[in-house]
Amino acid sequence: MSGRPQGPHIEVSGLTKRYGAVRAVDDLSFTVRPGVVTGFLGPNGAGKSTTMRMILGLVAPTSGTATIGGRRYVDLPRPSATVGAVLDASAVHPGHSARDHLHIYRTMGGHPADRVDELLTRLGLAEVADRPTRTFSTGMRQRLSLATALLGDPRVLLLDEPGNGLDPEGIAWLRALLRGLAAEGRTVLISSHVLSEVQQIVEDVVVIRKGRLVAAGPLAEIERSSPGTVLVRSPDAAELRAALLRGTARDGVADRVDLMADGSLRVYGMADRAVADLAAAERLRVHGLTAEAGLERLFLRLAGDDGAGGHDRPRAATDEKAARR
Amino acid sequence: MNALVKAEFRRLSATRLPLWALLAAVVLGGGMVGAMTLVGPENFDPPAPGLDTEAGVRSVLGMLSFTVFLPAALGTLAMTSEYRHRTATHTFLHAPRRRRVLTAKLVAYGVAGLLYGLVLTGTAAAAFFGGVAVRGVTPGMASGEVLGLLVRPAVAMAVYTLLGVAAGALIRHQVAALAVVVGYLYAGEYLLMMIPGVKLLYPLLPGGATASLTGFSYVADTMAAELATGPVPLLSPVGGALLLAGYALVAAFVAVLVPMRRDVH
Repeated sequence: MSGRPQGPHIEVSGLTKRYGAVRAVDDLSFTVRPGVVTGFLGPNGAGKSTTMRMILGLVAPTSGTATIGGRRYVDLPRPSATVGAVLDASAVHPGHSARDHLHIYRTMGGHPADRVDELLTRLGLAEVADRPTRTFSTGMRQRLSLATALLGDPRVLLLDEPGNGLDPEGIAWLRALLRGLAAEGRTVLISSHVLSEVQQIVEDVVVIRKGRLVAAGPLAEIERSSPGTVLVRSPDAAELRAALLRGTARDGVADRVDLMADGSLRVYGMADRAVADLAAAERLRVHGLTAEAGLERLFLRLAGDDGAGGHDRPRAATDEKAARR
Repeated sequence: MNALVKAEFRRLSATRLPLWALLAAVVLGGGMVGAMTLVGPENFDPPAPGLDTEAGVRSVLGMLSFTVFLPAALGTLAMTSEYRHRTATHTFLHAPRRRRVLTAKLVAYGVAGLLYGLVLTGTAAAAFFGGVAVRGVTPGMASGEVLGLLVRPAVAMAVYTLLGVAAGALIRHQVAALAVVVGYLYAGEYLLMMIPGVKLLYPLLPGGATASLTGFSYVADTMAAELATGPVPLLSPVGGALLLAGYALVAAFVAVLVPMRRDVH
């Protein structure tokens, strides 16, 4: 971080939002530090969007505070020059062109007029800038939403599920863009219900579930504290399980081996190579072997708990909020 | 603040809406008044006093006040379109002091409503003077007086635009807001009149205030005729104008205060 301009911290403290009896966000506290990309993770309905909207002053908290550089969003002298937010890609008037849309908010935020052309070019929208947005694809809308967030060249960026509705190519593009923005020294908070979508670009994570904090801190630290596992598919599962728990001098011994519902084994306390070598030495067949990161395990468990009962994997990465509309 | 007003003008002019509104103003102003002038109130069914009388001129020009529903409907779009297309998120992110956003919308829509009113009455004046010249009728009112009479509906259009903005800020659902505003202006006020006693309040309702401002008391007169009661006394034009301005103020106040605490999803 040396030499980079430091963006402000985002400070969330005791944040709570109640809708009737439902606590969408429940006594949530965490800090987002400048200069790195922070992943804001949790299953659908965990309260990520509500939290982000409370940070941005769009939703009033029932109690608690959220500040950016020590001030509430509404009290920032030039909010859109400090914070940019991508919350809802479809939030654009269908009759406006991308250029109109950007000029409206550029005028509102008091940003220079040439920012519009600059961003249209940077986000690959120059060709379609004068078409009404009703003709836009999801990817183009997502780019326009990002351009709107970047109008004031903010040092802090909040992105709510920006990968939703993007094809793999679009997601790769988004990753490259966010990496670039972080490399410029900005603070980036990006929410996702799919860990793998952000894993490559985040340094810190904040994991929430049912509105409550589950884990927060540098990804590497959390992964160290929740060690990885190895998932093995083998037709000789019972023999392999026994062999892993017996262990060998060369490959070591497993702390624990769970037999999963689908017949595969989850191995704790051994590296993937050691598991494969041990199986080979014991002449046991291995049909598949997957190393699972600790955080991913944690995350899969969280996602699985929410109604996916028994399936130890995240639900399909569909945009539930878009479907609700 | 200035930036927000500019942004609202930019937002307004980015769609085809102003074009349609101008077209409507020309059709309802020049078109309607022109047609009625050419036909002549004495040829209406039932016949009305001719244009060579003051009552005849008033009845033709007064028809303009029946079109207040249009600027009122356009005014409701100021906020409801933000919620319908969910651009309220961007708007309140770029201008988190929502009071200022609403104030900027009131200013922009007030100006737009006044422009609408001026086009409406301007084309109406042109059509009226053109029409009487073609027919060789000497109007029963001096030209200066006719123009003075036409300024009033122009102002009324601006006020109704503001009433629309306020209604849209209160009722965020676009179709619901449109239905309430147009429904009230078309039927609501007349239905209210049927309740015994309520008609005494008519001069104090927006419609009554508009009638006293524009000097066109068609509704009150019809009501008196149909209900076989004495005519409902309207306020003076200045009183009507003040009352209407009061409604606009209350509407603006409501529009500015209501969205403050509402969550934007």
